[in-house]
Amino acid sequence: MSFEPKIVGFLCNWCSYAGADLAGTSRIHYPPNLRVIRVMCSARIDPTFVLRALAGGADGVLICGCHPGDCHYSEGNYKAMRRYPLLKQVLAQYGVEDARVRLEWVSASEGQRFADVVTDMTEKIHALGPSRIRAHLQLDKVER
Amino acid sequence: MAPEKKLQIALYWGAACGGCDVAVLDTNEFILDVAALADIRLWPIAVDGKYRDVEAMQDGELDLTIFSGAVRNSENERIAKLLRQKSKLLVAFGSCAHMGGIPGLANTTTREAIFDRAYLHNPSIEQGSQTIPRPETKVAAGTLDLPSFYRRVYKLADIVDVDYYVPGCPPAPSQVKAVLLAIAQGDLPPKGSVVGAADQAVCDECTREKKEKKLKRFYRPWEIIQDPAKCLMDQGILCAGAATRGGCGVRCPNTGQGCRGCYGPLPNVIDHGAKFLSAVASIIDSNDPEEIRKVLEGIPDFACIAYRFGMPASLLQRNLQS
Amino acid sequence: MAEPRIGVYICNCGTNIAKVVNCDRVCEAASKLPGVAVARTYQYMCSNPGQDMIVQDVRQLGLDRVVVAACSPRMHERTFRKALRSAGLNEYLLEMANIREQCSWVHDDEFAATNKTEALVRAAVMRVVHHEPLEKLSVNMCPNTLVIGGGVAGLTAALEMADAGHKVFLVERDDHLGGNLARVDLTAPYLDSARDLLTERITRVRECKNLQVMLGSALKNLSGFVGNFVATIGPVGGNGKTDQEISVEVGAVVVCTGYKEFDASRITYFGYGKLPNVITSFEFERMLRSGRIETKEGKTPQYVAIIHCVGSRSQEFHGYCSRVCCMTALKYTHEIKSALPGSYVSDLYIDMHAFGKGHEDFYKQSSEVKTLFLMYGKNEHPVIKRAAPEDGCEMLIEVAEKLSGEVIEIPADMVILMVGMEAQADADKLARLVNISQDKEGWFIESHPKLDPVATTTEGIFIAGTCAFPKDIPDTVAQARAAAARVLGKIAREKIEIDAVFAEVNEDLCSGCRMCNELCPYSAVEFDSEKRRSRVNSALCKACGGCVAACPSSAIKARHFTDQQIVAQIEGVLS
Repeated sequence: MSFEPKIVGFLCNWCSYAGADLAGTSRIHYPPNLRVIRVMCSARIDPTFVLRALAGGADGVLICGCHPGDCHYSEGNYKAMRRYPLLKQVLAQYGVEDARVRLEWVSASEGQRFADVVTDMTEKIHALGPSRIRAHLQLDKVER
Repeated sequence: MAPEKKLQIALYWGAACGGCDVAVLDTNEFILDVAALADIRLWPIAVDGKYRDVEAMQDGELDLTIFSGAVRNSENERIAKLLRQKSKLLVAFGSCAHMGGIPGLANTTTREAIFDRAYLHNPSIEQGSQTIPRPETKVAAGTLDLPSFYRRVYKLADIVDVDYYVPGCPPAPSQVKAVLLAIAQGDLPPKGSVVGAADQAVCDECTREKKEKKLKRFYRPWEIIQDPAKCLMDQGILCAGAATRGGCGVRCPNTGQGCRGCYGPLPNVIDHGAKFLSAVASIIDSNDPEEIRKVLEGIPDFACIAYRFGMPASLLQRNLQS
Repeated sequence: MAEPRIGVYICNCGTNIAKVVNCDRVCEAASKLPGVAVARTYQYMCSNPGQDMIVQDVRQLGLDRVVVAACSPRMHERTFRKALRSAGLNEYLLEMANIREQCSWVHDDEFAATNKTEALVRAAVMRVVHHEPLEKLSVNMCPNTLVIGGGVAGLTAALEMADAGHKVFLVERDDHLGGNLARVDLTAPYLDSARDLLTERITRVRECKNLQVMLGSALKNLSGFVGNFVATIGPVGGNGKTDQEISVEVGAVVVCTGYKEFDASRITYFGYGKLPNVITSFEFERMLRSGRIETKEGKTPQYVAIIHCVGSRSQEFHGYCSRVCCMTALKYTHEIKSALPGSYVSDLYIDMHAFGKGHEDFYKQSSEVKTLFLMYGKNEHPVIKRAAPEDGCEMLIEVAEKLSGEVIEIPADMVILMVGMEAQADADKLARLVNISQDKEGWFIESHPKLDPVATTTEGIFIAGTCAFPKDIPDTVAQARAAAARVLGKIAREKIEIDAVFAEVNEDLCSGCRMCNELCPYSAVEFDSEKRRSRVNSALCKACGGCVAACPSSAIKARHFTDQQIVAQIEGVLS
């Protein structure tokens, strides 16, 4: 059975989730590997969620928010913008491949862009192969 | 309440520095009370008990084992399991047993890289020397064995079932006393509890003045002259106190050093370092990606700062390459 | 916690979902999930029978949680929440799974889409277990309103509300009312006098006892929340002196700050600012109002050219259409030809946007007065040059005329540039003050471009007129009245319901570290220096979750978006 990536997406209600819905109403197709979790704002996204998803077996994590300056809560996406590079630094130190966690700004009118982002990310993760994180966490077998 | 018979206790160190044992000894005269209350059946740093003595015990014969240090090699694992079998209560004592501790930072690298650095390529190794530890070495008189070095570091609870956790590097002597007394008196909280630490972060105990936080820069402690009355984070010096359980007496910030997180995360926190990361990044006073990147350059090696004492306990636990 | 009893409903949405997703299989899998008491599929869950099915099950099966897998929650979350309310359940005990917009409509692989649906349903079930009943707050609606901007939009909105008997504060930064329309002579297509339109309004505004007009004034600060705002108004500029500022209580704010015209000097090939008789539409209006059309040298122009889309529909400047210029240009052809019957009028356009009532007829009339219409390509702009003395005119305009396919030169003694509309230069300041968003071009963003054009995503703040995007007078007036109607509706209900979803600090876990206080765009996270704890003002909190994610103790809980709920969802989609 060929590898089908499992990607967890955190989408903000006002922009990116609406953009994803627009891709739907416009019937723009994209790969079925993304599983979306809705939050009100990208500011709600705790780096813990990203780590939890990776530890839980996600091959990739997509974080989407409104374009800078357009946040429904005026500054929420800036918080995501601040946390993301530090999270990436930590992930790099854990040996997690760069392409597995991605931050994208998608507006409510960007249905096509959303589909393009998901397609691109799915392809890149497909090329990387399954994430080894979960397998490396198995504690039932001590690695002697 | 005088116990009818003396408590049977063991204190053991896995991958440890001995500091936790010193913390117990640092309770000063109290240790004599302990000696009066209890038979210490195993305590490598202080008394004569041997492994075979423990092996000869009944299951549950020990009332309490205080286990410090992480699990790094086969001996640590074997004795952890042995002590678990022979003990009614097993306490993970100190950061290493609780979360992996400083040895846990080895999870950022590989066994091969560690051996290479420790035994093959460093300034104090003779040229051409290729001696690395092996589990078995044949010599004229027979076979010598050494514990085998595992590929990664484990916290105690990864290997055996743990009853209580006493955090700290090391736990403060006052906490040690409180915990030992509680156990001696049978005054036990629910299994799995963290004891000897507060349920609020260090900031609650810290007397420095805290203001609104907006940072344009982070500073290493030596880069500025600190104001001892002001919150370290307010001044741009990294302090994990806000993300770390209190109860330690604010030992580090009181001497001008940011809290390093040795008491571990707060009760509802899933991943200690991730929460510290989120707070530190959120208070950067910038909405420009380039400026944010520059500000973050002031924080080198953040994974090791955020998970200094708890990498094996973090959600990702270890570097994938290891 | 007692075992949950969850009802799971998989909607077929006719064939919209069922064509790609095997709903029966999903239903079967859902029924086996822990806590699920019943799982059903149905044609249209949002229909009355669909909702009744939920209500019946709640009553008869004792359900205490509901999952509906259907269209986007942005579509029908409100509908199903109402169904839960009718069944006697708290409406927050609902979770939806989006298996249409984000599944059946975007995937064609049935196997993959069904698997994805199962994962989303599982996640919803695991999340809903952790939902808690939440109660909305109810606050008073102050019947006063603040209108910012005294142009036709602001005047209309203010009058509408004042006539209904409520107090209105009208703030205008200029020293007179009327805005951009006051600079216009006649309006297309019926050639009404702009002055007449405005004078009627301005007179009524002055005479209205409920209406307090503040000229030369601007909004300095706005605090509070819908129904309970405090607006601080002071003189424009003001130098930071606060003694002349007043604070008023209002329940809603209607923003009618209009537009500014595009600066034609930015376009070098039109020579505005260099060639003296290249003027803007507004400058021409001034000429019309004075009653004399003449060049800077005082001569009567023989050749007049009008160029559309100056600064609009351009890759270089603004991509959008400024909507009113085509009809205004046609208005000019009329006015020039009636004032100067012997003149030659050329109209250079890309497309003729004659979309509105009476517009096509007006266009026909303009062609009848013998205007020369020349079409040029969107990215092939005309170029204006100074003419040589032997050319017999002031300027020559070179244009690649599309319909003939030829590059031609036309004479012009006067060129009128139809400058487009732009967002006001200080729109961003106002946006921040009242907490609304701007799009990339600076126009204020409405709550929904089709379904909610005068509201914004900030409750209690409305927008009307050209501040939201170029539009003509009929649309501006319609929006102004619409915004007024929305406010009047709120006032009539007397009370405002504040969403139950906000953040809460657990004071037993808060250590007073103060990481959170500066993070809130609504200043909702306060610090109690006596208790040394932070606290969220639930009326101000908009539930973005920024403080929640940043709190290093996880001491702040995001109601309805708790860590527990989100982590359950993560586990659900991955298991």
